[in-house]
Amino acid sequence: MLRPTPMKHVRLLVIDEDLPRASLTLAELASFHADDRPPEEEGFAGQPSVAYRDIWRQASSRLEKITRLIPLPPEERNPSPRVIPEEELTATNNWLGSLWETCSRYEEEFRAIDDEDRLIREQQSALSNFEGLGIDLGMLRSKTRFLDFYVGLVPYANVRQLEGAVGLADHLLFQYMVTGDDAHVVIVGPSGAQGAQLESVLRSAGFRHLPIPPELDHEPQVMRAELARRREGAAAQREALRQRLRDWSADLIGQLASSREVLRLAEPLVQLDSAIRGVGPLARLAGWVPAAAVSALEARLRQTLSLPFDLSSRDPRPEERPLVPTISTRNRLLAPFALLVQQYGIPRYGEIDPTPLFAASFLLMFGTMFGDVGQGAVIAGLAWYFRARLGRFYLFGVLAGFSSITFGFLFGSVFGFEHWLPALWMPPLHDPLLMLSLALGWGVFFITMACILATYNRLVIGNWAGAFFGQHGLVNLIFYLALAWGGFNLSQGEAFGQGPLLLVVLSLGVLAWHGWGHLEAPVGEKVLVVFIETLETIVGYISNTLSFLRVAAFSLNHAALALAIFTLAEMMGPLGHGLTLILGNVFMIVLEGGIVMIQVLRLEFYEGFARYFAGDGHAFNPLRLGPAHERESLP
Amino acid sequence: MKFAAHQAYLHTRVSGMATRLFRPDTLALLAERRAEELAAEYDLTAALESQLPVKARSRAVEQALINTLLAELRILIRPMAAPERTLILDWGRHYALANLKTLIRGKLHDLDRKVIADNLYELPHNLRLPMQDSLFQAENVLELLRQLEGGPYSFIARQARVVFERKQEPFALEAAIDQRYLTGLVRDMALFSDRHCPCLRRLIGALLDRLAILWLLRFRFSYQLSSSETFFQLVPSMRRLHRERLLALVNLDSFAAVLAALPPPFTGLLAASHDLMDVQRRLNAFLRGEALDVIHVGQTGVARALAYLILREQDLMALFSLIQGRLLELPAEVIKVAIETSSARCHLGERQAA
Repeated sequence: MLRPTPMKHVRLLVIDEDLPRASLTLAELASFHADDRPPEEEGFAGQPSVAYRDIWRQASSRLEKITRLIPLPPEERNPSPRVIPEEELTATNNWLGSLWETCSRYEEEFRAIDDEDRLIREQQSALSNFEGLGIDLGMLRSKTRFLDFYVGLVPYANVRQLEGAVGLADHLLFQYMVTGDDAHVVIVGPSGAQGAQLESVLRSAGFRHLPIPPELDHEPQVMRAELARRREGAAAQREALRQRLRDWSADLIGQLASSREVLRLAEPLVQLDSAIRGVGPLARLAGWVPAAAVSALEARLRQTLSLPFDLSSRDPRPEERPLVPTISTRNRLLAPFALLVQQYGIPRYGEIDPTPLFAASFLLMFGTMFGDVGQGAVIAGLAWYFRARLGRFYLFGVLAGFSSITFGFLFGSVFGFEHWLPALWMPPLHDPLLMLSLALGWGVFFITMACILATYNRLVIGNWAGAFFGQHGLVNLIFYLALAWGGFNLSQGEAFGQGPLLLVVLSLGVLAWHGWGHLEAPVGEKVLVVFIETLETIVGYISNTLSFLRVAAFSLNHAALALAIFTLAEMMGPLGHGLTLILGNVFMIVLEGGIVMIQVLRLEFYEGFARYFAGDGHAFNPLRLGPAHERESLP
Repeated sequence: MKFAAHQAYLHTRVSGMATRLFRPDTLALLAERRAEELAAEYDLTAALESQLPVKARSRAVEQALINTLLAELRILIRPMAAPERTLILDWGRHYALANLKTLIRGKLHDLDRKVIADNLYELPHNLRLPMQDSLFQAENVLELLRQLEGGPYSFIARQARVVFERKQEPFALEAAIDQRYLTGLVRDMALFSDRHCPCLRRLIGALLDRLAILWLLRFRFSYQLSSSETFFQLVPSMRRLHRERLLALVNLDSFAAVLAALPPPFTGLLAASHDLMDVQRRLNAFLRGEALDVIHVGQTGVARALAYLILREQDLMALFSLIQGRLLELPAEVIKVAIETSSARCHLGERQAA
């Protein structure tokens, strides 16, 4: 469970014609993670699937735009796999192109109705504005013998520049209202040769005429009713257009769904595009496959490919390890913990997968720090109740709740009451010193394990120097255990001890010697750096171990907080007593529960992961078939 | 880091980078060297050595030089506060707008998709057009602009669409894009406190003055636009070529009359210029002088950083003109003219069609 799934690097050589079939087979098996690196072999410089990819992208874009207007039913989960040749993809793309032409006309019609509606609204605003002016608006309606009038809307950002521009054509601009991004303006000037010049400027400025109806100067009520009627007309037009679109598209939905399936079946080859290189009729693709799946892959390719092919596989080389994808745990119970681990990073291939260790230590520490049967049951119950919303993460809440319940039985605590249940072990406040000692012991064990894992992870990738002398490597571990040994002696009232002292001095000496050898600086600077680093090692390990005291501190805090709530409740009447207990428990669950979770995560990430987990790996993301949203959600 | 520490870091960075700027005689010295030597010195060997045709190699060189510039831009914005960063990134977005224009031209002229793709610049994430892949798949200009309207470029895209719907002219469309871009820079500058303003005003003012003169002369006398139309397409500067002055200048009827009516220092600077290319050469030198002054005497990091980027872009594009000239085996005189008139090649209405 801790070891990564062994992976193989595979190289597949196929004839061009068989590429779509090969990619489909790889997607069906969902065990091939593409390797995008350029091939090591000379000559594979071509990209045989570029045309296929471009057609697919255009067709997909068209389908996406069309489905904004014509919604399609949900996709089938498992369409029967079949090869999509380039000719079929091209035909689908062309059909979608012609369909989109019609759809875009519908879209433009919708936009025209929206524009019309917006214009009517602007007219309604203008009507309210004009009503109070008390001028003869009929004068603005048309050109006169001597004057031109332009009444309309212009983007507000253009008004100032337009004012100057029309001024050059001997016209004046008045802005009388601003609505949204638009300004309502009246432009007036002498009739004549400047008209054409002005029209051109107005078009550049995005000017839209706002007609002034004849009714406006004498019957505004009539006009208001007319505008309302026109808006209703626009709404009716919109509905009629929707119906027309529905009628027109009813017969197309089946074919559109088929096109979507064609694109989905063609997608594997597009996804592989960056990993495919070709020379002549030969195409090469490479990737990573779980070692256990290689033979099944070869057998399936033999069944499906009609032309000769070559599949070769090898173990990852040491220098390739950072590129090899890591398969995350499939265990259902561990899945929510894996999500939290991934917040820190993905294990590098070869590294120990920290998820099981993280899950076990998280539950242990959370239970210790928040041990209560009642409150644990509430957490587990809430997580279960909201499981639909929480998705896979609900199990995290349920397990944390059960851990809290388990430690609640050990501590004999139910909603803070310590006399309702007999403690299977003891309530934390009965012996705080023992709790603190155990927490310290747990810290030493935790840090020791982290150092062992750090050493192992480096040994696996052949980093011997790092394993022995690197941070949290073997020499560090010897130093730390010697320090813990000496510390234990001191706690027993004895001297630090010669054995531990010797080991501490020796290990620090080795670390200093190693650090000295790796520094390129003047002697004075070397002395200073080595001294500070050595000091930091000592202080760091001591403070990190003391950091685990919080595990005991929070379990004591939990009991003390319950005690404070009971004291407050005792001071109330019967109703206040009950309310204080309920609110106090809610407070503890929400606030203390949250703080405890953060503290545990801090210990896990900072004291654990930071020591042994690089977290710079890549998740295994195999080529697979299926609706896009499902592919994205898969681990 | 506090403000003072950020400023100190930025000033140090700019001063360090400024040593890379070309000295007055650098280009003359570079012009005597072979393309291979230039490539070796400026890390362009990979771009030049490929087996691709001349046009593709030239494009690869340009892309590599732009990558250099934008990598330096990203280093400079690291210690900057949000408004400073926005200004510098918005300045750098003229490459994204060049891509937008390429896409628009491609859609307008129904060019092959590969041709369009080959003419797009590869840009870093924070300078790319939003949804560039989706824009690339748009079937026509209107669809493209509508898609762009839904994102952070709505300020530019909306105006461009409105103009395109009313005037189906590529010129009006590109002019609208350029105008909105520059208005955005002026708007960014308005967010700065008075402490930053003198240097920034000087620099952006010089940038806008230069463009205002060039565009005025080009629109009015090369494209024969009316004075109203010309004025509408210009972006008034906050320094010499302000709104009132532009209103007076666009009403003049000849190239010489406009040059004569320009305020100092342009009157002397452009005296005896007879063509637009000469004006452009002199204005490039003017902008260079202003930017160098800001680097040397500027008090604020953001102004010095912008000045550096403007100069660096001039240098790299001049270098590109030199290498391109060598690749195309052009005569030395032609290369010399190209170098003198090159600023940002893809900058604002000066780029060749895709």
